[in-house]
Amino acid sequence: MSDVGATRPLLVADGITKQFGGITALDHVDMEVAAGEAVGVVGPNGAGKTTLFNCLFGLEDPDEGTVVFDGKRINRMPVWKRSRLGIGRTFQRMELFEGMTVADHLLVAEQAASGTVRVWRDFVHRGGPTPAELHHVEEVLGLLGLSDLAGRPVDTLDLGHARLVELGRAMMGTPRLLMLDEPSSGLDSDDTARLARILGETRRTTGVAVVLVEHDLALVESTVDRLYVLNFGKVLASGAVDDVLADPEVRRAYLGSTA
Amino acid sequence: MTQFLNYAVPGVPFGCVFALMAVGLVLTYKASGVFNLAFGAQAFVSALAYVSLDQDGWPRWASTVIAVLVIGPLVGVLLDRLLFRRIRTASPLVKLVPSLGLLVALPQLAIIIAGSEPSIPPPAIVGNAQRVYLHLGSVPLSGLELSISAATVVVVAGLVVLFRFTPVGLEMRAVVESPRMTELAGVNAGRVSAFAWILSSIMAALAGVLLSPLYSQLDPQNFTVLLVWGVAGAVIGRFASLPLALVGGLALGIAQQVVAGYMPAGVIANGLRPSLPFVVLLVFLPLVRQRQVDDPLSSCDPPSSASEAATAGFRSASTVATSGGAVHSVGVWHQRLEGLPGSRMTGILVRRPTATFAWVVGGLAILSALTWVPPDWLLTMNQGVAFAIIFLSLTLLTGMTGQISLCQATFAGLGGFMAGQLANHFGLPIVLGMVAGGLLAAGLGVLVAIPTLRLAGLPLALATLAFALLADNILFPNSWIGNGAGGITVPRPSAGPVSFAAAKPFFLLSLVILGVCAGVVKLVGDGTMGRYLSAVRGSELAANAVGIDVYRLRVLVFALSAALAGVGGALFGSLEGSLSANDFGYQISAVLLVVVAIVGLGSIAGAVVAGVVYTTLQVAVTSLPSRFAGLVAVLFGLATLSYTRHPEGFLDFLSGRVQTAIADRRSHRLGDGPAEHGPVDGGVGERPAAAPDPVIGGAG
Repeated sequence: MSDVGATRPLLVADGITKQFGGITALDHVDMEVAAGEAVGVVGPNGAGKTTLFNCLFGLEDPDEGTVVFDGKRINRMPVWKRSRLGIGRTFQRMELFEGMTVADHLLVAEQAASGTVRVWRDFVHRGGPTPAELHHVEEVLGLLGLSDLAGRPVDTLDLGHARLVELGRAMMGTPRLLMLDEPSSGLDSDDTARLARILGETRRTTGVAVVLVEHDLALVESTVDRLYVLNFGKVLASGAVDDVLADPEVRRAYLGSTA
Repeated sequence: MTQFLNYAVPGVPFGCVFALMAVGLVLTYKASGVFNLAFGAQAFVSALAYVSLDQDGWPRWASTVIAVLVIGPLVGVLLDRLLFRRIRTASPLVKLVPSLGLLVALPQLAIIIAGSEPSIPPPAIVGNAQRVYLHLGSVPLSGLELSISAATVVVVAGLVVLFRFTPVGLEMRAVVESPRMTELAGVNAGRVSAFAWILSSIMAALAGVLLSPLYSQLDPQNFTVLLVWGVAGAVIGRFASLPLALVGGLALGIAQQVVAGYMPAGVIANGLRPSLPFVVLLVFLPLVRQRQVDDPLSSCDPPSSASEAATAGFRSASTVATSGGAVHSVGVWHQRLEGLPGSRMTGILVRRPTATFAWVVGGLAILSALTWVPPDWLLTMNQGVAFAIIFLSLTLLTGMTGQISLCQATFAGLGGFMAGQLANHFGLPIVLGMVAGGLLAAGLGVLVAIPTLRLAGLPLALATLAFALLADNILFPNSWIGNGAGGITVPRPSAGPVSFAAAKPFFLLSLVILGVCAGVVKLVGDGTMGRYLSAVRGSELAANAVGIDVYRLRVLVFALSAALAGVGGALFGSLEGSLSANDFGYQISAVLLVVVAIVGLGSIAGAVVAGVVYTTLQVAVTSLPSRFAGLVAVLFGLATLSYTRHPEGFLDFLSGRVQTAIADRRSHRLGDGPAEHGPVDGGVGERPAAAPDPVIGGAG
């Protein structure tokens, strides 16, 4: 898969620097994600993983550096526009639409991603979903194994299923890049294993690229092709998963005594 | 320079009072999460107590002590204990409505208790209010000004000592910073919050007592206007900083005198001074970061969905209140667009009794209106229809998006004036004028929305309140807009083959217009936009992340809502034959919001019933003796208190009860025991028979 994007990387972060007050959260971080590639970002708490995520996704503006997606500079582009370009993301702290059903979560995302919904459609067509939209929603529900829960309000789901809804919502509108922020946090090992399986299946069927911030190394190892290790806002190491994890400096900084 | 001082120095006493109010507002906002708009009413209550005691022959020092140090804190503690403490984490709407209700009800209650409104200007705390005691440069300082300034200096000194050198002061500073963190550190935030309320109430009381000599008659209105200055000061303090709020209030007091001094006399100059708060809010609100409004620890809350789901069936009344009225209402909208075939069947069956009942009552009302009802009743009913359209604008804005507007009456007035002026000067048919009025209101809505909508909730509510004041003072008095208190005439539609000028045809026309407006609201609520709005309510961040342009959506809905209000106002003007600035003053907007919130923001029926309730209340207030009119206002305020228990509104609460009763009876007959979703207090409308059918929303 990674050879597909060898010609032009899907996402390029170049010299991203972000300061909060006197603290340098990110210090000239470079990162590349090829189309269809899965990249992991690991590092100790406070290493700047989430800040990097937010800079890539548009929740924070980097002080320096550029973010290029699909050959297009997207610095300062608002979040919703990035989403329509084809970047989906999940949140470490759940951000579900309280009160809405599972299916409607996906439907909203599908309609919003297309960006074609206009006010007149509500007045002329009464705003119902199109067959194509419904079809895609059902497809993703099936992929996630959520078909049986489609009509359930999300507030009644357990955390494992709720995380899947977030993943599904991020997958609507056929994004080319999925950004997953600690999708396993709060999940038990069964749920995490299911998540890993579904992620793998998703990548196989859709060929979507993935950026994964994660503490659970088992999930990282089973999902990603390449790994970036952040420490104190700098890229400590990057490369193939096994090589990086074998790096003595990485072991000292991140894995510590567990290594 | 001397001239500047001549203008600036008289502003200092005002600035002192504004500063007291701003500090009081920030204190309770940070300590208990409630922006206490009843602050103005508290000031009035103490002022009234002071004046009444003084007139009963009490010594001046004793009246001051009782009004400021006994009655003021007493009211504050009661408000904290009985109301505000319980809605600490509720949605902005649930927090705002009771304080608006109290703003209306408290003064009336105080007047009833005091027996009458005293009409002689009371004395200042120190010395003679009017007598000039000393000159600062060439500026004379009267007893009133001196006592205000002296009292403020004492209070500020006391605050500094309190916050710097006492343990409770330290705890309060901590609570202001982050209530959650403080509680984690083992401080009883409830006790600190009670203390903050006492302090804040003393400031309200002091502000009221200090300013009371200024007015020849104590009128609650004056204190509401003052409140807006305090609000502006609090915004300068970014809702968070006490010193900044203090300085902000002081600066505002000076600025308003300077502005008034340098501007040439005229409508604009007269209007500019009262509009200063709006300008300040426009400038400073964008500087307030959401982060500063929120508790820094709020992001550390555990994910709510899973844990809340487990207890969803057992929600007590108070947790329903905290879940927020607007979320609730959106839930009601949402449930309608669900369209799950399984639940739709049962839904219709369960719903039918209440819906059928509503249609029958509505039909009977219309029939009666067209047959036997006397003309003055018909007029009232027609007013109800016009106001129902204005209420629909709130159903759309507040019910579906959770945005709070305190200037819907202003939009209604602007729409009405536009329609009337176009008809009077250009002979435009009034129905087209109504459309034009709606468009104008929409345009102004966009202008108000663009700078303020980035911040949802409270900041928007305050900005709209300030805009309403600005319109009252600058726009409405203009002869080419509202022509002040004199007003303008608005014709009834008479052109064309059919004349709608007579009462009954006009009533029918009003119904048609209401139908069109209701259709618009329904289409928006049931369609893609409704789904988007529901998503935004659920999580603004995630809505953005899936590609919804939240900001644009908000502006759009705000404009649409303003348009509806404009059409309603134009219809009202045409019905009455004339319209004046008094019909849609700023305080009307607050009353409108409160009425429709109590009746129900979750449905079109809610808006219609609110229209009927509102006009009936108006008839009651105007036709009853003033003593009873006050009583109506007090009851109105009490209704807002019940609102915190049932934020879904009266109508949904009622239909929820009926549905539960029917479901219970049916399951009883089937021998299944009580219905699964049971008699959850108030939570019924929100989570109706959670249907586990594996069918996609809207597929049916």
